Amino acid sequence: MNEMNRMMLRLAQAYVPFQVYVNRWDPMKSLMMGTIFPELYRPYYESMRRG
Amino acid sequence: MWIYEKKLQYPAKVGKADLKMAKYLITQYGGPDGELSAALRYLNQRYSMPTNVTKAICNDIGTEEMAHLEIIATLVYKLTKDATAEEMKKADLGGHYADHDNALFYVDATGNPWTATYIQAKGDPVADLHEDMAAEEKARATYQWLIDLTDDPDLKDTLNFLRVREIVHFQRFGEALNLVQEHQNSKHHF
Repeated sequence: MNEMNRMMLRLAQAYVPFQVYVNRWDPMKSLMMGTIFPELYRPYYESMRRG
Repeated sequence: MWIYEKKLQYPAKVGKADLKMAKYLITQYGGPDGELSAALRYLNQRYSMPTNVTKAICNDIGTEEMAHLEIIATLVYKLTKDATAEEMKKADLGGHYADHDNALFYVDATGNPWTATYIQAKGDPVADLHEDMAAEEKARATYQWLIDLTDDPDLKDTLNFLRVREIVHFQRFGEALNLVQEHQNSKHHF
C-alpha cells in the first residue's frame, strides 16, 4: 500500500497493473495451461477451498 | 462478421454420462455468470467503449466467450447423451425433460431461464468495465465450485482451462479500465 501511495494513484479508482512481457510458453503447452503467459497461470486446487 | 472454425477451442471430454453434473454445469450455459451472459454483455458493450483498444478488448473477449459457450454445450450434451425420461427424473431433471426432452436450453443450475437482466450496459465505460471484471471473477468462482462438484478428471481438465481463461480476461479488462481512466483524465488536461 505504501508503494502504491508513492506512485500517487488517485483515490476512489481501481487499478490492475499493466502486464509487461517477460516470456511465454510454446503453443501446445499454452493451450494445455489456458494461457501463454506463465505469470497469468493461477491453478485451482480443491484444497484451497477446504484449507 | 465472424469466421467459424469447425473445432472446439479446447477438447471437451467427459469420462461418462452424469446427469447430476449436467444439471450443475448448465449454469455456465444459461446462468447469471455463464458464458452466454458473458458473450452478450461484452459484444454489446463494445459499441460504447471510448477507444479502439477497449472496443477491441470487448470484441475479442466476447468472441472467445462464444467459443466457451460451445465447449459448455458440448460437455452438457455428452453428460446427458441417451438419458431416458426415468434417468432424467432421478437426476431432478424431470422438469427439463418435460420442457426440452434432451435438448439444451439456456437455464441456470436450478432451471431458471436466461434473462437479459443478468447483464447491463451503462454507457459509462468505467462502470461497464467494473461489471466485466466482476463477471470474470464470478465466472472463475463458478468454475471452482463446479470442479468441486465432479470427480471426472476429463471434465475437471476442461473446467480448469476455462477457469484460467477467466483470470486472463480479468487482466485484460483491468488493462482496459486503466486505458479508459487515462483517456478520461487526459481529456481534462488538454
